[in-house]
Amino acid sequence: MSISAASSASSSRLPAGFGSASFEAFLESRSEPGWVTDQRRAAFALYQEKLGTPLNPEEWKRVDLRTFQPNRFSLTTAGTAPAQFETLLQDRAQFAGAVSEVDGRAVSVKLDENLVRQGVLFGNLSDLVHDHREILEPHLMTRAVRPDRDRFAAWHAAFWTGGTVLYVPKNVTVEGPLYSLIGLSEPDAADFSHTLVILEEGASSTLLEETGSATTENAGLHVGAVELLVGDGARLQYVQLQNWNQKVWHLAHQTGLVGRDASLQWTVAGIGAHLAHIHQQVTLEGRGSTAEVNGVTFATDRQVLSYYTQQTHQAEHTRSDLLYKDVLRDRARVIWRGMIRVDKDAQQTDGYQRNDSLLLSPTCRADSIPGLEIEADEVRCTHGATAGRVDEEQIFYCMCRGLSRYEAMHMIVEGFFHGVYDRIAVEAVRDTLSQAVIRKLGFE
Amino acid sequence: MSEFQKVATVAELPPGGRKSLVIDDRAILVFRIGDDFYAVEDVCSHDGQPLTDGELLGMEIECPRHGARFDVRTGKPMCMPAVEPIATFTVEVREGDIYLGPEA
Repeated sequence: MSISAASSASSSRLPAGFGSASFEAFLESRSEPGWVTDQRRAAFALYQEKLGTPLNPEEWKRVDLRTFQPNRFSLTTAGTAPAQFETLLQDRAQFAGAVSEVDGRAVSVKLDENLVRQGVLFGNLSDLVHDHREILEPHLMTRAVRPDRDRFAAWHAAFWTGGTVLYVPKNVTVEGPLYSLIGLSEPDAADFSHTLVILEEGASSTLLEETGSATTENAGLHVGAVELLVGDGARLQYVQLQNWNQKVWHLAHQTGLVGRDASLQWTVAGIGAHLAHIHQQVTLEGRGSTAEVNGVTFATDRQVLSYYTQQTHQAEHTRSDLLYKDVLRDRARVIWRGMIRVDKDAQQTDGYQRNDSLLLSPTCRADSIPGLEIEADEVRCTHGATAGRVDEEQIFYCMCRGLSRYEAMHMIVEGFFHGVYDRIAVEAVRDTLSQAVIRKLGFE
Repeated sequence: MSEFQKVATVAELPPGGRKSLVIDDRAILVFRIGDDFYAVEDVCSHDGQPLTDGELLGMEIECPRHGARFDVRTGKPMCMPAVEPIATFTVEVREGDIYLGPEA
């Protein structure tokens, strides 16, 4: 299914770039409450300061930003270009609610009436800041992704364009998944969408988010942030399927905070983008909390997909389990730098991380660097990484059974990813990923 | 980079000079050695990071971090730790201007 955005004659663009003039014009176009504007101004000052400070070399030295020219991109302020999105996920399940945003502007919001009555909020951040300050202000970039983290966090905090907010009150269970689409449509458009999920104590929900481009040729920029705040005893499943075209720059900070006895299952899929760098952090704040992190990445051509993941254990009896699987072809490059950090008080924790890479051609490259930093003395923390080419013997075996070389390759790739698919509870997501992989391999 | 495009003038680059470029989202380094011009992709095939400030030793560029060397004419790795070549590009001089062409 494709969704079409409402169309109007034209759209207005702010001056290209992200300097003071663009920032003032951006604020002018927004008419937001004072507390939001104040937050933005503070973040913009921080952004300008951080531009002069080098990035953390441990995180960035393998990611080449020399060809990144942020000043060619601009924000749109009004009007909506007609856009058709080939979404992968949208027609695969019945959703209890759906929101979409294109080129940084809200397009549509839908939520089941029953959920509205139970106090669930699901909509665009740009709209909700006007009437829900009491819910948003304590959480918006104050606990999970703080603007002072680095220049990208500050940049996002100054210029966020909207994004999905999900708030589930205490002990409310949202049955059935919710869906969110972030789209880029016009040439050189920028999207600074912010995903904020707040689950109160004992709440439960599933959010499936997808990013996509309306065209294959328009370049774009996404500087995003995801904040997942999982309250005590709450359960969240969150999926982000990054499926931009191969001309988009994707830079994002994504953080989940997990409360006492709460659980977070987080799946990150990277299919598109010219260059993507995700700083993903999971912090187990409360005793007995658990987090499962799944990564599925398929990079081809000259794509560069980079992940910097951190699993931080701050409390006792916490468990984290990360599995990233990536497949590479052509001249693609995937970088994964993972760290498990265990604080002094986080005894009896169990941390695991693993990254497997499958290289389909001799010219692609995978960098896999797991790490541990442990201050407690009674823990179990393990990690591993593998990288390898497709075994010619396996291909030969499949071809002996009548499969073409291509079919054999597909079977092997599909089998490789199955280790992650098996961990994903939502069937629609498993099917979508499988379909995306088939497409990317080059046959429908 | 299917067609030749002007990237510098001969006057800009004295013998031994170099210039960094970004073309079609690729970082490229152009050299002048004597009166000849060469262009290579500005990324070491060993660690994936820039060669920009590496020393020129005869016809070879040395990676400033781990000492890998590449022949600027062919991109061929000349010593460890590099084992894979780097991309090279055709360069032409036309009436005092330097034009960069397709990947060789």
